[in-house]
Amino acid sequence: MQIPVVQKVLAANDLLASEMRAEFEKFGLFVVNIMGSPGAGKTSLIEQTLSRAGDLKIGVVEGDLATSLDAERIAKHGVPVVQINTGGACHLDASMVRKALDRIDVTSLDVLIIENVGNLVCPVSFDLGETARVVVCSIPEGDDKVLKYPAIFSSASVVVLNKIDISPYVSFDLVKFEESVANIGRRLIKISCSSGDGLENWMKWLRTRQV
Amino acid sequence: MHELGITQNVLSIVLKEAAKARASRVTKVSLKVGEWSTVEPDCLRFYFGILAKGTLAEGAEVAVEQVPVAYACENCGHEYIPLVSVFACPRCSSHKGKLITGRELFVDSIEVENADSSSAKSSGSE
Ligand SMILES: [Zn+2]
Repeated sequence: MQIPVVQKVLAANDLLASEMRAEFEKFGLFVVNIMGSPGAGKTSLIEQTLSRAGDLKIGVVEGDLATSLDAERIAKHGVPVVQINTGGACHLDASMVRKALDRIDVTSLDVLIIENVGNLVCPVSFDLGETARVVVCSIPEGDDKVLKYPAIFSSASVVVLNKIDISPYVSFDLVKFEESVANIGRRLIKISCSSGDGLENWMKWLRTRQV
Repeated sequence: MHELGITQNVLSIVLKEAAKARASRVTKVSLKVGEWSTVEPDCLRFYFGILAKGTLAEGAEVAVEQVPVAYACENCGHEYIPLVSVFACPRCSSHKGKLITGRELFVDSIEVENADSSSAKSSGSE
């Protein structure tokens, strides 16, 4: 006997995420889910953002496997930060973010940045109730990332390419990369967290919050 | 890899539905998995085989229908399957394509045996 089921496997996650999204919208909180490989510069981008925030009130949720190293870096900037340790999981899910929200007062914030676990695959499937997704990648990772991981890039609003200052020393075809981002219909912001290049464009995007 | 957790969710949906139907055994689980759902069907089957041991779904066949990625153009309404090298709309070249399929992940149906009907069937065939 066949029984129709038609039930989403991640229904619980998606329901919780949409409840959170509705709540965030109520008090106008812009929630950014930052995704990218380990070492791409997600935490550096957040640090650079905080030091340029001005009167923009930003809070941070830090996802990591086990350490609180990133949260400690963020805390030095004097902003509210919560660490989530996934205990080995490859992504954050909505319930982890929900729990983190108990430890941070988001009602006073303009922007909440969620740093996802370093991974270009698994975070795609898990809605965190975010307003916008951003993928950070970097020159040393190679120029083929968009072609190889289209799912994560297409799920994002903005692609940030970090470490552009070292492009003279690495074989990275910038034109090819720019074309692949344009091809998938996403906006590209080129930055260097060490030289500061391009960060004003990133801040402009964050201030206007145009998804 | 997050397939283990996902497979646990699949199994709990299956067992709940099987209990509702008063099934004695689940013989088949049919899933729809989008090409961009980031779930590896073989990996899911492997975990299912392990997790289902000792449950009604032990030994059930796991059938996965992969759903291709499709876009709908917001400019001209054309629906198309994008190529890795070309995501733009083939009709109007717009990049305003929205993903319409390819990220689904759901249990579509299950096949079960009921204690009564399976015994009836076996006695009927003898
Ligand atoms: Zn079109």
